[in-house]
Amino acid sequence: MSLVRGVFVAFVTALRQLFRRRMTLRYPEEKLEIEGEGFQYDAKKAIGIPGYKGRHILFLDKCTGCQLCSIACENIADCIEMVTVEKKDFPAWVVPKQLAAAATFPQNKKSLWPQIDFGSCVFCGFCVDACPFDALYMTNEYELTSYTKEGLIFTPTQLAIPPKEVGKTVKFQVEEMEAYHG
Amino acid sequence: MTSVARSLPFPTEVIVGDKLSISIGPQHPGSGHFRIIVVLEGDIVSEAIPDPGYVHRGAEKMCEFRNFVQNVPMLERTTLPDANGIIFPYILAVEELMGIQAPPRAQYLRIISAELNRIVSHLYWLGIYGVFLGHSTMFLWPMGDRELFMDLIQTVGGTRVTPSYIIPGGARNDLPDNFKDKALKAFGYFERRLKEYDRIFFSNPLVLKRSQGVGVLKRSEAIALGITGPNLRGSGLKSDTRKDEPYSMYETLDFDIPSYPDGDCWARGMVRFHELYWSMQIIKQAVEKMPSGPFRSRLPLLTARAPAGEAVARTEAARGCMSYYVVSDGTSKPYRVRVSVPSFRNMIGIPYLLKGGHLADVPAIYWSLDYWPVEADK
Repeated sequence: MSLVRGVFVAFVTALRQLFRRRMTLRYPEEKLEIEGEGFQYDAKKAIGIPGYKGRHILFLDKCTGCQLCSIACENIADCIEMVTVEKKDFPAWVVPKQLAAAATFPQNKKSLWPQIDFGSCVFCGFCVDACPFDALYMTNEYELTSYTKEGLIFTPTQLAIPPKEVGKTVKFQVEEMEAYHG
Repeated sequence: MTSVARSLPFPTEVIVGDKLSISIGPQHPGSGHFRIIVVLEGDIVSEAIPDPGYVHRGAEKMCEFRNFVQNVPMLERTTLPDANGIIFPYILAVEELMGIQAPPRAQYLRIISAELNRIVSHLYWLGIYGVFLGHSTMFLWPMGDRELFMDLIQTVGGTRVTPSYIIPGGARNDLPDNFKDKALKAFGYFERRLKEYDRIFFSNPLVLKRSQGVGVLKRSEAIALGITGPNLRGSGLKSDTRKDEPYSMYETLDFDIPSYPDGDCWARGMVRFHELYWSMQIIKQAVEKMPSGPFRSRLPLLTARAPAGEAVARTEAARGCMSYYVVSDGTSKPYRVRVSVPSFRNMIGIPYLLKGGHLADVPAIYWSLDYWPVEADK
């Protein structure tokens, strides 16, 4: 291929890109739609359920305070700490309905709960694999910024709150000759 | 080696006689976290000395304080674009130590995740290689199309990088239901896109002038130096661990190993360019051939112990032959883990390739080797 012809072909190829939709995700205005409910683990079958590995969610009616999640994290990120929170210290709207009448959490005698420091979490999900009671899952929430380091430490109350709505979401779409967000 | 650079601990910019020695790196945008001391005579490189170790973290020693499964997220972090590929041999070695074998479905899942990571890694390389040849379109296109495969990795493993997806005893989770449709759509788009890549970059006469005949590594030299991976195949030797010593289920898959006899920057690039295509074919076949059934053995993650002994395993990662040597003394933590990385073995080629070339060719040759400093320094 001669020099002129080769450069012309390359130029025309690049020019075609102008008429295609853009790949760029205009992030703060629109956010990527994530499929599924987040990474989960079926303890009975001992298999993971595929999903996004975002911020954790703690189910207060299932957690027994066995510390296995904390032990699993020990040498990976060391970000799970077990803390004691009595039922009266939880806001009433976090406590699951079926447990609201009881004086304490019957399955969690010592009132021990995981507290996760997202400043050092690596989102590997081995704590989810370690939980034998399906009490710790991961969610699609990934916007965890904070002005302070302490703001990244999520207490059991914060972990029990379902992920917040993200606003306008767009899908990543692939067509015959173009891939774009929108 | 008598050199001006060797006699100085940290030369910044030193003139001795007719020779000028300069440091490229370790914080130079042209080299990553890695320094090359280049000694110049005019515009010609008379000597080049690689100086690794800037990002050494002691990954081998850190392995001794974590149990076999907890090592997985840590070891993945040495090569972020190729996380599943470089953890693969570690998993095989630990499985050999423990005397377990992953179910067939898990072995195909591993192939899929490793090949997806190979594509992501090669696209990342293509972007950086393109921009250092002065072709900024070739930076933007691969970085954009990489999103397709990052999205697929996220669907399988849950995160875009370092999914900790493959573990001793199988894979963490099954493929989601929509994976096959999503993957076929992405591959259809990307196969058409590869033709555009060829027209705009690999057949572009301006790029050919920058890369053909530059940094020639002959076949005999490549073998003598112990070069591995796409760089060795770019020198004309069809050597690939996936074919030579098939592991997992690679023997059941039909694929070709691209190889070019030229041994220059262009040939090394073309090998990776064709590997993009063949990796997609491997994934397509693996998704078809995958048997149903279990994909994870009931291995206790936290207390899994390996009987005393040693095991070696090697696989083909994106940058070449990757191997792990794991020694166990019967406890839940490895006694010793030796990591042999392809980047470190490819680094030995840098002094031979740069010598006699122009200073302006240093980025082209350096990036054509796809050297990843963090992987080499461990």
